[in-house]
Amino acid sequence: MSLDSKIPSGPLAQKWDQHKFDMKLVNPANRRKYTVLVVGTGLAGASAAASLGELGYNVKSFCIQDSPRRAHSIAAQGGINAAKNYSNDGDSVWRLFYDTIKGGDYRAREANVYRLAQTSVNIIDQCVAQGVPFAREYGGQLDNRSFGGAQVSRTFYARGQTGQQLLLGAYGSMMRQVDQGTVQLFARREMLDLVVIDGKARGIITRNLVTGEIESHAGDAVLLCTGGYGNVYYLSTNAKNSNATAAWRCYKRGAFFGNPCYTQIHPTCIPVSGEYQAKLTLMSESLRNDGRVWVPKNKGDKRSPDQIPEDERDYYLERKYPSFGNLVPRDVASRNAKMVCDEGRGVGESGLSVYLDFRDAIKRLGEDTIRERYGNLFDMYERITGENPYKVPMRIYPAVHYTMGGLWVDYNLQSTIPGLFVLGEANFSDHGANRLGASALMQGLADGYFVIPYTLANYLASNSFSKISTDHAEFITVREGVENLTKKLLSINGKKTVTEFHRELGKIMWDYVGMGRTESGLKHALQEIPKLREEFWKNVLIPNDPQNLNKNLEFAGRVADFLELGELMARDALHRNESCGGHFREEFQTPEGEAQRDDGNFSYVAAWEYTGENKEPVLNKEPLDFENVHVSQRSYK
Amino acid sequence: MVSFFSMVWSSVGKKIMTGLTGVGLCLFIIGHLAGNFSLLVSAEAFNLYTYKLFSLGGLLYVIEALLTLAFVLHAIVGISIYLKKRKARPIDYIKVANAGGNSHKSISSVSMIWTGLILLVFLVLHLKTFKFGPYYETSINGIIMRDLYRLVIEVYQQPSYVISYTVIMILLGVHLRHGFWSAFQSLGVNHPRYSPVIYGFGIFFALVMAAGFILIPIWIYFTKQ
Amino acid sequence: MARGIMEKKNMTLHLRVWRQKNASAKGKMVDYTVNDVSQDMSFLELLDVLNENLIKKGEDPVEFDNDCREGICGMCSMVINGIAHGPEKGTATCQLHMRKFKDGDTITVEPWRGTAFPPIKDLVVDRSAFDQIMAAGGYTSCRVGAAADANAILVPKDMAEKAMDAAACIGCGACVAACPNGSASLFVAAKVTQFAFLPQGHAERKQRVLNMVHKMDELGFGDCSNHGECEAVCPKEISIKHIAVMRREYFKAAIS
Repeated sequence: MSLDSKIPSGPLAQKWDQHKFDMKLVNPANRRKYTVLVVGTGLAGASAAASLGELGYNVKSFCIQDSPRRAHSIAAQGGINAAKNYSNDGDSVWRLFYDTIKGGDYRAREANVYRLAQTSVNIIDQCVAQGVPFAREYGGQLDNRSFGGAQVSRTFYARGQTGQQLLLGAYGSMMRQVDQGTVQLFARREMLDLVVIDGKARGIITRNLVTGEIESHAGDAVLLCTGGYGNVYYLSTNAKNSNATAAWRCYKRGAFFGNPCYTQIHPTCIPVSGEYQAKLTLMSESLRNDGRVWVPKNKGDKRSPDQIPEDERDYYLERKYPSFGNLVPRDVASRNAKMVCDEGRGVGESGLSVYLDFRDAIKRLGEDTIRERYGNLFDMYERITGENPYKVPMRIYPAVHYTMGGLWVDYNLQSTIPGLFVLGEANFSDHGANRLGASALMQGLADGYFVIPYTLANYLASNSFSKISTDHAEFITVREGVENLTKKLLSINGKKTVTEFHRELGKIMWDYVGMGRTESGLKHALQEIPKLREEFWKNVLIPNDPQNLNKNLEFAGRVADFLELGELMARDALHRNESCGGHFREEFQTPEGEAQRDDGNFSYVAAWEYTGENKEPVLNKEPLDFENVHVSQRSYK
Repeated sequence: MVSFFSMVWSSVGKKIMTGLTGVGLCLFIIGHLAGNFSLLVSAEAFNLYTYKLFSLGGLLYVIEALLTLAFVLHAIVGISIYLKKRKARPIDYIKVANAGGNSHKSISSVSMIWTGLILLVFLVLHLKTFKFGPYYETSINGIIMRDLYRLVIEVYQQPSYVISYTVIMILLGVHLRHGFWSAFQSLGVNHPRYSPVIYGFGIFFALVMAAGFILIPIWIYFTKQ
Repeated sequence: MARGIMEKKNMTLHLRVWRQKNASAKGKMVDYTVNDVSQDMSFLELLDVLNENLIKKGEDPVEFDNDCREGICGMCSMVINGIAHGPEKGTATCQLHMRKFKDGDTITVEPWRGTAFPPIKDLVVDRSAFDQIMAAGGYTSCRVGAAADANAILVPKDMAEKAMDAAACIGCGACVAACPNGSASLFVAAKVTQFAFLPQGHAERKQRVLNMVHKMDELGFGDCSNHGECEAVCPKEISIKHIAVMRREYFKAAIS
């Protein structure tokens, strides 16, 4: 199948405006006749539901938590980028576009990224109007700060809780529509399958997580806003409920999966403390503005950090990247931490952490200034580790944080299944092989507030929709399939818990499909994952209580999907014989140990097509053309 | 359009009412205590003071009506808050603890309903004992007036009265210890600069009121035998 | 103190946990013992360990709400030893760590209790009442695309900070759980004051406070008695001064 990215023709800067004009509209009086199913209530989902509800569509919104406000966008700390140039430091739409393309290691679509940069300015306007309490200057104007991978200050923030504030803004707008009756809310629901009728996405099957009831919902379009799949690694900074099930089941219904191997490992997380660990906690990378990263020069140096003299410390980021120093992009910082730990110079009980030391900053600026800047983060660190970072250096280690890959979408955010649109982290579109800090929030809101209202209208107006009820034969078939899957899971009654399988999968993924990947390691993973999957289907033990709240049953379905997705990630990573952004193949590196791209052979989006149970997926390629930026080796030296 | 009743009887409306009536009642007890201190001066002073009050005529009725209204509203709202609490949490925690820290929860705050109800009963008895009690007459400078002083002295020569009065005034202090600052909070007065002062003063106020009211019967009991 | 040398002793803990099969079932406290508890575990990880043991024994695991496990989503919700979110100040259950407990301790764990938060199963309750309150006014009505330039609205820094103090609310419901009266005043006040402090919120200021307060009352929350337990357990340490502000707002709205 050939992939049509539907990128409008014309000069880059005019594509979106021209496209907006060319697209068809839906008459205001007709909008309420269309039902749109929005799955997920993070930034993308909540903003989409709110704006579509405002326009007058009949929206049904689904979320897995007890309230839409808890979607994991809420946990984003640092900020949101926008090309406002309020700092007068040379920012522009073009520069944000350029930084994002470069930061993504030239593996994203120019047109999408440019549109993202364009709409970024509207997002800030919208959020301010909603009453998001962004940080302000004394004069009352918005404050900006700089973030990794950029040389301008374009990041808007609300303390260390930017994601929360943006989400509450979108959630508030959505709840307003709930009050007005345009949006209907379905909380504690998990989407378990997609219903495709006559080639179009026409509905979803959900499980009511409280009663266990399998429900059918029909609509004219489905918006998937279900976030990323970082939890395939078991330990990640994602929330416990974040999962790939909705996206994966759409993949199995014919939506292509784009660039599954692109994952982002965040450098500043609190290290793992033991086997029981269920989740990793991120600390804003703004800490790297003042903290210095180091490890002892000598292997196995078990002295406490204050006993290690200056000349026996290796400030490896400052040594290797004198111009960016501790502020290199996330992928570079993470990889270097792994390298020094692999050399046996890691610190802490497990040897899997590096120091992030504020001693010099405290000496230079005083403890009060540091407290003012990072007080919350220091408190959080102490709460979790029991160590006081004002006295002893923090210990950090990289952790899985974000997945750039996701369901393949065209310029209109439509997947390869007509009527199935994918927004936010769930799609693959805007970040290439590495996402810059403060860009995820931007993308989620751009998709929901400013892109989907236009492209969805175009889809609805260009197609005719027969009246379909949930009694349709296809709905019944798909629902039975979901019910059977639940029965099958519960009938296994084996010996190992879902968590044990998940943890094992996570270990395989982290060791072989993690920060440093090799051909042999990936091949090993491709052997191990199917084995584990087979064992799962024979030996998993789930509390047998389907008509009730049963988290283990929920997780079982998700882990079953992760066990398939993990394999696809390994397959994608193995086929991509180059290093780019978050995908680092150890065979492909520059003499200095940086990612070595192969633009001649791999300047494309890998879109994987499902072909059936236990059959190899088919690789489709969408070539990436760079007409507006000069493609070069990234350098942060 | 929200109706007047639903506005006044909303959770916030009720707080504003408790706060307003609470402030009014605080002013009343300040006045009451100040008046009582004339007992310590002389029989004439006290009787003249009560005579002055009675000669306010119509104004006294207005004040009494307002006071009654304040007491009744304060009590009704308090009882309603308690009943709503019972409805809002029909099953209590098996383990109950105080969060501590900057919480204002105290024996005083959790017993408001009980101290309040006891004070209400006391109020009725107190009025019966004094206002509607035996009517003695005296004459000062040729004016015939009620000898309330004599009644007070008689009452507080009975140990049972002194003891029960003392206990109830301690309960008044307990009620005021939460009630005083709470009235301000209920009326929307909370500021980092002033609130600690109000809170601290509330404790002082409760102590002074309780001690002041207790002082008089004890003084009478021990000096007027 | 040298790291790595420091001895961290594992503990044995006794748990008394509220078990309730479903919304209509009668609940009771059940005793469990968990051995080999690391001091570095979070409270939820302790329950994870307990649940793994229970599943392997063929028993029903203890259901509890949780999601982000970094103190921001507001999903985790349990009363630990009689205190909502447990003994540590400004901390949600997910960030409470076992080093705050001693070897051999008995810990009681109960769900949020209140008419407005009906039980679902074990420690899980239904907090959709909060969503209903938000739908009654927890927003500014601004259509997407209609906003003026962000810097057209000036907000003094101190007002932005104050608004942020209020906006930090994570909607966990600990304030309701801890309130002896089961009042949601702190939750409502946090939203009302956030918008009262910001110029963007002024257009709907009066209607907002009336609607949100009346919705709260209607949903079966109790009245406030100014105990201040809400502030003491709030993971974001939101002050009850916001409740005072809400009352001023309400008064202003009522008399105009």
